[in-house]
Amino acid sequence: MLPQNLGSETNIKLPFSFIIFSLVALVVSQALLLFNGQMMTAGSFRIPAIWSAAHLLILGWALMVAMGSMYQLVPVAFLTKIWNETFGFIQFFVTGTGIVLFAAALYWSPQHAMIPGTLTLLGILMFLLQMVLTLKAQAKPNILTAFVGTALVCLFLTIALGITLIYCLKSGAAADYYQAIFKSHLLLGLTGWFTLLIFGFSYKMVPMFSLSHGFPMVQARFVFSFYVSGLVMALLSFFTEQSLLLKTGFFFLLVGFSIFSWHISIIIKKRLKKKLDKPFAFALSAIGFGNIIHLSAFILLWTPGFKDLIGPLVYTYILLWIILSITGYLYKIVPFLWWTFKYSKEIGKAKVPVLKDMMNDRIIVPVLFFFVASVIVIFFALVLKSVILFNIGQSVASITFIVMAFSIISVLKK
Amino acid sequence: MNEELKENIMGALELVIDPELGIDIVNLGLIYDLEMDDESNLTVTMTLTAMGCPLAGTIVDQVKRALADIPEIKDVEVNIVWNPPWNKDMMSRYAKIALGIR
Repeated sequence: MLPQNLGSETNIKLPFSFIIFSLVALVVSQALLLFNGQMMTAGSFRIPAIWSAAHLLILGWALMVAMGSMYQLVPVAFLTKIWNETFGFIQFFVTGTGIVLFAAALYWSPQHAMIPGTLTLLGILMFLLQMVLTLKAQAKPNILTAFVGTALVCLFLTIALGITLIYCLKSGAAADYYQAIFKSHLLLGLTGWFTLLIFGFSYKMVPMFSLSHGFPMVQARFVFSFYVSGLVMALLSFFTEQSLLLKTGFFFLLVGFSIFSWHISIIIKKRLKKKLDKPFAFALSAIGFGNIIHLSAFILLWTPGFKDLIGPLVYTYILLWIILSITGYLYKIVPFLWWTFKYSKEIGKAKVPVLKDMMNDRIIVPVLFFFVASVIVIFFALVLKSVILFNIGQSVASITFIVMAFSIISVLKK
Repeated sequence: MNEELKENIMGALELVIDPELGIDIVNLGLIYDLEMDDESNLTVTMTLTAMGCPLAGTIVDQVKRALADIPEIKDVEVNIVWNPPWNKDMMSRYAKIALGIR
């Protein structure tokens, strides 16, 4: 029989609120980076304006998109309804307000970031509660539950460590561990939360968008085991300062990511849809970038240049793996949400557009191409400490991001 | 159920298009069976191209709506099954050409 909860039943306004907020945050974060580029090229990543821009980009854009997408994807991927939609709207307002005030505090007076930080934390905890209660209702947990569940745990730890960092900054406590906590905060946020989440949902979205059938799933277990072990080892190494443990951890992360790339390529080979959509193809290319960055990080770890290059590498990891993946999928998810909202009642009665007609296809390739190119330029600008190169790259990136935000919003006019 | 009615139903179902692929559910081969009981209640047994497809709920609604105007049908029930699993051989020649499958 047909389960009652089959299909997308989330009120469309919920994922949309998150996505629209995120697009605004994206534009603002880019403007901040643009006006403070000189300091970043001098190697000063940890100044208030960069903190503010980084958190707007990561929390305001990527986290809010991830949350909005999860409100949409979790019910369909796990065949279970969102626990409480009204609670979801309240969570949106709490988290949104928290992030805006938090980014503002980081910019003007980081010492006062504690209260808005706590508000953001509250919003994220509300989200975690929502997701835990939603996933608990799932009839049969599977490997995707492991990916998404672990990602949620990492998100919680990231935020907890972030709050600890602000506390340390304010009180001067645990000064010896500040570096270790900072590194753990980055690692758990970027690889633990985002990467595991993208892994998990890729296993649902890749077969769906490529129409693949009859592929093996056993590799996913290895991806999970290697990646999570690598994560734990790297974390332990931050606190014990054992370089061999760090290297082993990075190796395990690399192996996990490489198995994931290989597994996705197996799934893609089994596809029925010969011509892949452009945004989806870009999301797939992000996997390649992610893998190259993991490999580079592991190799560089053995060289003295690691210290200088880790900043630029983290930057490209965020942009070319996390944000490119999310953007690629966003170009698929937003038209779908809007289509469902506007046309699903008319289908079968009148002629309605197909999803491809919802988005100006021609704009996607140049936008994403310039995005990738500008990030590569910025990477080299940071490595070579070239202000001119940085300004060129960042200007192109910011313009691209703004065009991207508007092209996504333009779907709503269709 | 007579052939004419069956054709009518299939014709109506051809209006239900998978928006992701741009092809209707009949040509995609998603309709497995149509069964009408003595009280004119129709059961549509069908599958979807992917388990956990976000369009599932939408497509079920659309199937019901597409068949609502056929006077011989009193009520429609949609039964989604995963066995036998859908595969490319279930598609019509038109669908295969549209998707670029040989």
